[in-house]
Amino acid sequence: MAFETGRSPAVQITPRQRWSIAFSYMLIVIGLLLGVNQRDSLLNQTSVYSNIAAGISASYPARWLLDESADNVFRIRDMSHLGFKTTIEVRSLPVGADGAERNLLDHLSLQRSQVFIDYSVLGYDTYRMPDDSQAISMAYTFVSRDASPFLEGVSSIVNGLDILLIRRGQALVISLRAESSIYQRELATFRRFIENLEF
Amino acid sequence: MIRIRQIGQTDAAESYGILPVWRRLSLLFIFLSAICGGMIVAGEALPAVLNVELNRALSLSLTSLPVALWLLIAVLPEYRVERPRRRLIGVAVVSGLAASAVGLPLAEAFFVLDQWLPLQSVFQRIIGFTLTAGMIDAGLRFTVLRYLIYPQALRVRGDAVAYALASAIGYSFYLSLVLVWRLEPTWNNAAIYVLSSFTIQVVSSLFIALGIIESYFSDAFPLVLPANLLAAALVNGVLQALLPGLLSGPLSQAGAADRPLFGLVFVVAAALVSVTAAYFLYSNSERLEREAYVGHEGIDGI
Repeated sequence: MAFETGRSPAVQITPRQRWSIAFSYMLIVIGLLLGVNQRDSLLNQTSVYSNIAAGISASYPARWLLDESADNVFRIRDMSHLGFKTTIEVRSLPVGADGAERNLLDHLSLQRSQVFIDYSVLGYDTYRMPDDSQAISMAYTFVSRDASPFLEGVSSIVNGLDILLIRRGQALVISLRAESSIYQRELATFRRFIENLEF
Repeated sequence: MIRIRQIGQTDAAESYGILPVWRRLSLLFIFLSAICGGMIVAGEALPAVLNVELNRALSLSLTSLPVALWLLIAVLPEYRVERPRRRLIGVAVVSGLAASAVGLPLAEAFFVLDQWLPLQSVFQRIIGFTLTAGMIDAGLRFTVLRYLIYPQALRVRGDAVAYALASAIGYSFYLSLVLVWRLEPTWNNAAIYVLSSFTIQVVSSLFIALGIIESYFSDAFPLVLPANLLAAALVNGVLQALLPGLLSGPLSQAGAADRPLFGLVFVVAAALVSVTAAYFLYSNSERLEREAYVGHEGIDGI
């Protein structure tokens, strides 16, 4: 059996060793603080969206995917999330002379009840916009299932929130949809999005 | 108290019945790489589909393979030598608990790495993993070693390496277990997860051990230990940043397939290079101290 040649240890550590231990802990703390800084800067990094035709500009999370389809002014999705992708959607709707806010929301609900599984409205409330104007909000829920039945995925419960505001004869519906397990966390992102929305 | 004077007061050639550590470490790497590599190659060559329960049981049992090999190769022989390292299992258990209580929750719940890091460029991923997961892992394992073995259980340089290996075993076991439990990979993919988690933590731990050795046995400049911790975090960050890209195949219209053989080659190469580099630094440091000792005491060591 092989043996190593050893030397008697000094149980007490020297001042130099004490300093090296202290410096090591300082390095770890500084490294973690830099990590927090990098996390915050990347998590809160935003891109600017501007649509001159609709008169809308907004800042959205840079890592989200922007989609400008015909139905919406625009839509952004967090593609990094597994399961249902958290979505913020901005839609512009024409409003008639007698167009009440509640009628618009009921119209949206009717449309969604034909598209979403187990769609149900949770309630209505008022929402204070960053410029202190009042908007109306509608909370709802539905079940999201994978489009392909061959993927054999588990359905997700999705919570949604619509903010409806009417200005200059035009209604703007800003919607958040997120899996119920992360809904509260995503609500903070949604509030930041609304704070930076110019309409 | 000046360390070199204390060495001088003892017999330089005093022999301890202490198990050599590098051979054990190499054997552990060879056996684990051979078993996991064999499973990965078998999985590629013979794509046998196991039923879900059997696949899960096999994958979960694979996570304990490094621990079992370590117990057989490094821990059991300790009890046959004159002066065994008595705290190996304690260090491994406390490191595993540290990973469970602090390491993983900090990385997942506080740093939320999966939300922002995987989508960044390679350079940003390396920096990000180094400053978050790397610092957490290296910091926790250093703290465990600091309070359990430094300096009371350090008799020879090999002790630091042996205890750093024990710390890496405990830490990587918990990480592998959680990964396999959550992702439920096929057994051949579980093999690459276990091997890569083990390699990342062991290679990183070796640099922590080198720092402790330099600090304690050579009474090195106070920045040497933090520099080694930084190297440990950097190695951790580089491997964590590069490995997923090598395991995943390129996207195509037919979809993306895993490439575990690429991962296996990368992990084995990284282990080989890092262990060789660490051994070189270890031997060099030992040689320098021996020369300094002979120079200080005269050619006969008197």
